Amino acid sequence: MDPKITEVSQTFERFKAAFVRNDFDTCTRLLSQLKVLLTAFKSLPPLFQETSNAIHELTTARDIYEHAVVLSVKMEDQDAFERDFFQLKPYYTDARGRLPASPQEYPILGLNLLRLLVQNRIAEFHTELELLSQSALDNPCIKHAVELEQSFMEGAYHRVLSARQTVPDATYAYFMDLLAKTVRDEIAGCSDKAYDRLSTSDARQILLFSSDKELLQYVEKEHPEWEIKDGFIIFQKVKDSVPCKEIPSLQLITQTLSYARELERIV
Amino acid sequence: MTQDVEMADQAPPSKSLSSPDPSVLPHLKEIASLIETGAYAREVRRISRAVRLTMVLRKKLKASSLGAFLNYVLVSGSEVHSRLSSFLPKEDEHDMEVDSAPSGTPAPVKHPLPELEIYCYLLVLIFLIDQKKYDEAKACSSTSIARLKTVNRRTVDVLASRLYFYYSLCYELTGDLAEIRGNLLALHRIATLRRDELGQETLLNLLLRNYLHYNLYDQAEKLRSKAPHFEAHSNQQAIFHTIPFCRYLFYLGKIRTIQLEYTDAKESLLQAARKAPQAALGFRVQCNKWAIIVRLLLGEIPERTVFMQKGMEKALRPYFELTNAVRIGDLELFRNVAEKFSSTFSSDRTNNLIVRLRHNVIRTGLRNISISYSRISLTDVAKKLRLDSPNPVADAESIVSKAIRDGAIDATLDHANGWMVSKETGDIYSTNEPQIAFNSRIAFCLNMHNEAVRALRFPPNSHKEKESAEKRRERQQQEQELAQHIAEEDDDDF
Repeated sequence: MDPKITEVSQTFERFKAAFVRNDFDTCTRLLSQLKVLLTAFKSLPPLFQETSNAIHELTTARDIYEHAVVLSVKMEDQDAFERDFFQLKPYYTDARGRLPASPQEYPILGLNLLRLLVQNRIAEFHTELELLSQSALDNPCIKHAVELEQSFMEGAYHRVLSARQTVPDATYAYFMDLLAKTVRDEIAGCSDKAYDRLSTSDARQILLFSSDKELLQYVEKEHPEWEIKDGFIIFQKVKDSVPCKEIPSLQLITQTLSYARELERIV
Repeated sequence: MTQDVEMADQAPPSKSLSSPDPSVLPHLKEIASLIETGAYAREVRRISRAVRLTMVLRKKLKASSLGAFLNYVLVSGSEVHSRLSSFLPKEDEHDMEVDSAPSGTPAPVKHPLPELEIYCYLLVLIFLIDQKKYDEAKACSSTSIARLKTVNRRTVDVLASRLYFYYSLCYELTGDLAEIRGNLLALHRIATLRRDELGQETLLNLLLRNYLHYNLYDQAEKLRSKAPHFEAHSNQQAIFHTIPFCRYLFYLGKIRTIQLEYTDAKESLLQAARKAPQAALGFRVQCNKWAIIVRLLLGEIPERTVFMQKGMEKALRPYFELTNAVRIGDLELFRNVAEKFSSTFSSDRTNNLIVRLRHNVIRTGLRNISISYSRISLTDVAKKLRLDSPNPVADAESIVSKAIRDGAIDATLDHANGWMVSKETGDIYSTNEPQIAFNSRIAFCLNMHNEAVRALRFPPNSHKEKESAEKRRERQQQEQELAQHIAEEDDDDF
């Protein structure tokens, strides 16, 4: 066997051992070694050369990047997640015809969808969604993310939060926590516009806090403009869209003049 | 000329079954001479005319007449000749007689012009595609593309762009579009370096089509935003620019829809539908389908006339029912429609967009409620919206509050009493709104007029001498061909 492959698989074994132990420092160190080693293989993207053990190399590389993605979630590093995911993606798309499907594929794609949702990158979320086949959309991991997005867009925030209990994979918990924060901000923004006033106990329920103290801290930090009086939160109403009392004369004059000029040209 | 007549005469008696339409060969020769003069005079216009004329002949092409034409134009025994002839279905001995005619007499062109050579490739390729011989067509197009890369003449551009188109078409028909992506990118680069605008437009469209075929919206958008734009041509009436531009707009609209830029998407799609030639029914139907969904997503309800356009009623029927469901704001009905036509929607690849619409259905329903009631309890809201969830009241509350924040309805919530209070709708005429709408319409009309003026073309010396009768006839004929070409092209392309 090619010595390079042996080296990669040995390092990868050590990486996996450290991965199980949750020894993140060793993992990152070994991972960067592995990534450098992988650059030596010509069968990997973007070259995709037909070498004799291309399949084996591709599978190993895919496995390594899958671990890298999961590692980045464990280390709660979103940038690393994005980088590793993009390196992994060609294995799912361009090499699909040649490799047996990976059991990790849908969980990881679902994770990525969730990440885009948390970062509020909805356009990219939908672009990714278009790439998935009907059978992929029926997969619980993907479906979870898709339903979350729908509830999120509708404003059914309770459904988003209750979805936390039904996460298909343990790795999802990190993003779900982040999502809970996003949801709370959304609810706060909506309440600001929708209510005139709320009693603190109702506000606590709506904003999903367990104690009044947390609520007060949150209000102080995020929405200092809210007024708290006699056990009620009073939202400042900005009176907008008042009927126009004055005629915007200057604007009208310029418009009328330009019509006159254009008409002159036509006649 | 006598030679031509002789050949035309000779052909029919020798072929009993596959007798070619006697008119095809002389026509082809005419086209060849048109290309020749065009190439020598460097007049691209003539070459485009030749391509248009070819499209008229397309249905009548036969292997025998093509073979004869190849013999006429190309030096027999040359590499190109033998390669191209090998693609044509083998004919029996009779053909040899026809063959001998031109080879006996001195060949009209010793060293064929590159234009003519490329034209032969194009002709054979079209023939092969029409005969559904896709594998041969693929081989033929690949060789022609290889040859094209070595030719750098502006007079070839028109022919080349047609070749690119058919090259991609035959790969699409066999489902191997991904294979040629790299090649198309290389060709696009070459076209850009050579300032071959037509080639750039065609290739950009082909690439976008290629990406969208595999739903690679991300890559398509990246390419589109970085490739040179050709919007400048939008005013030109030349058909060779209008059709690529329509397609481009359609692809652009699709990309923007996926990326949730609905306002821009709507503009592109509607423009594409409007600019597309009347005959391009399939294309216009597609544009309309997407435009309808985008308008629904924007919260607009398309007018009934959109669905009643001639020849489209049937194709747009699912979308009509969908619109109806969204208009009423009935989730149940919406779900039924989506289910009933799910096969149509998935073949149109609009399934994911339909899923997005659910949110709009709720919004419309909510808006109706807010208009009809000045005060309504959240329990009733949940009932009316038919939200099926474990906690309908809480859901209704957060949905309403989000709608208020997004400005979809004008209301306030009362949490303690659990009801929604609608605000009085203000008098729109007391705001600047009507003035703004009026202004934008006037601006549109004026702009339209100015663009029309700019697109006018004045032939040189027209003020000195009146157009002679002959010239007018020629012009009219040309216009007719143009119309016919559009019809032809769209029959098979969309």
